[in-house]
Amino acid sequence: MEYRLPKALTAVLAGITLSVSGLQMQTFFRNPLAGPYVLGISSGAGLGVALLLMAGSAFGWAVYGGTLGVWAIIIAASLGAVLVLLLMSLTAWKVRDSMTLLIIGLMFGSAVSAIISVLAYFSEAEQLKLFTIWSMGSLGGTTFGQLKGFSVATIIGILPVLWMLKSYNAMLLGESYAESMGVRIHRLRWGMILSTGILAGSATAFCGPIAFIGIAVPHMGRLVFRTGDHRILLPASALIGAIILLFCDGISQLPGSAQTLPINAVTSLIGAPMVIWLILRRNFSKEF
Amino acid sequence: MAYQEPILCARNLNLGYQKGRISKKIAENINFRLEKGKLTCLLGPNGVGKSTLIKTIMGQLPPLGGQILLNGKGIQKIGIKEISKKIAVVLTEKISTGTLTVRQMVELGRIPHTGWLGKLTERDEMKVNKAIRATNIQYLSDTPLSELSDGQLQKAMIARAVAQDGEILILDEPTAHLDLVNRFEIMHLLRKIAKEEKKAVLVVTHDLEIAIETADEFWLMQCGLPLVTGLPEDLIIRQELDILLPSEKLTFDKIDGKVRVLNEMVVNAIKGSNPLNKWLSLAMKKSNIHQLSEDSKLEIKEEPFSIELKTENSLQSFYSIEDFLKFLNNIKE
Repeated sequence: MEYRLPKALTAVLAGITLSVSGLQMQTFFRNPLAGPYVLGISSGAGLGVALLLMAGSAFGWAVYGGTLGVWAIIIAASLGAVLVLLLMSLTAWKVRDSMTLLIIGLMFGSAVSAIISVLAYFSEAEQLKLFTIWSMGSLGGTTFGQLKGFSVATIIGILPVLWMLKSYNAMLLGESYAESMGVRIHRLRWGMILSTGILAGSATAFCGPIAFIGIAVPHMGRLVFRTGDHRILLPASALIGAIILLFCDGISQLPGSAQTLPINAVTSLIGAPMVIWLILRRNFSKEF
Repeated sequence: MAYQEPILCARNLNLGYQKGRISKKIAENINFRLEKGKLTCLLGPNGVGKSTLIKTIMGQLPPLGGQILLNGKGIQKIGIKEISKKIAVVLTEKISTGTLTVRQMVELGRIPHTGWLGKLTERDEMKVNKAIRATNIQYLSDTPLSELSDGQLQKAMIARAVAQDGEILILDEPTAHLDLVNRFEIMHLLRKIAKEEKKAVLVVTHDLEIAIETADEFWLMQCGLPLVTGLPEDLIIRQELDILLPSEKLTFDKIDGKVRVLNEMVVNAIKGSNPLNKWLSLAMKKSNIHQLSEDSKLEIKEEPFSIELKTENSLQSFYSIEDFLKFLNNIKE
């Protein structure tokens, strides 16, 4: 119980945060394949952790397990996410066009992955293993204390979305129409960056990278509820995200065995076919 | 009629983009008055700044000079929230959402008027119903947008703009990509909205013929020239529509209301009744045949259709225009 309950709660929170940030990005960028990975936020968190775990020998620090180590990882991931977020914000300041912002986000992601690869190449086996394990994601590592932090971050991250629900509905018709209906695009963009940064950043910080939830869940919400209205899609995505991640967690807990599969692998195994199926549907882009 | 204060007017407006210290002027010295209850058509070639003008009116782009007054107040001083309650638009960009039904999309038009959650009041519902009725799309209410034809989608977009309930409705090429029937329907629909709802409707269009038939007012925009405004019929009589046709070879024909090539030689008088005559001469013009030899006479007959070409010592008959043209082309070569 002491192990299972925090784990289940973590799954619920991670499911909510990732899905809600995916939903925001898909609507804001009018792109069905946008997700928390797209703005480079998850990669940024990865970079933070990689620097902490693998650049230790170069900078002269070492991180091993224990409570201190776990918090160090969370802080490093948050810092990494915030760093990428700041870079993105600076770009958002300069760039007015959302498509450009999307591409720049993807480039940030690739550049960050490249830096991680370089770090991995020079790091020692022990450190590399630590990082690899982190990058597989884990829902089980959170204590009640961390759960409190995660909950607060989730609530703070969702507040801007609630505030801007109507604007997101207007965005369904594209930026120009939204503007003609009185939506301040600049404000919405900042709100989106802030909210997704906090949500996806904290999920990655506490659980490591978890793939596909952010992309696939909002689509499932649209499919199930047959609507584009964010007043329905927001709670729907949060709910479905929580359920799916709990389900994935259940699968990862191999029945009759003490072993658990890495959660990132499970979500990818379920999410990748799901995204492919979505794309192959005849009217996918039309119905988005 | 009493003097009507225009809802929107511009004084010495300069349009363009400002990027850093560099400003790119697109059009200058524009003056206009947009009035309620009138359908105004803005005509002009591509790239002359029509879309820039619309963006400036919507307050999305600051003017480089001069000012636009909305109800007598400078548009720069009005926030886009306030503007959105006065001006609704239908743009050229394609919307990329299919999950909404027509009704849900029209409801989005009420966004400027609703609270933070966007909940519709009874009044909002009424406005939405009215907009759907005004555009005759009741039967489409529950159809998802992805299943609409282009014409139906355009009507739905117009319904959304009507539901937004501004006093001004601006449409950027609402009839592009539409078939002939839909083009007529949409323009007449807009005219009806202007008249019945007492809105100022501004339509950017390239459809000169339909515009002449429906518009109360024309604005003609041409590079380097001031905006010409006036009643379409007046502009036609004054030959002012010619400013839309920069090439000296083109002119606007007052008689049948069409653009014509100037200086073309008149095809020798063709004997025969009018509709046949007209199409034959059009076909000959298109294949660059402007004159037949002096001594030849051309006669066109109905029932059965035939074309007879008489010269002094020969008579030839053709049973389709195509055959006739082939024959003429052979002679030329």
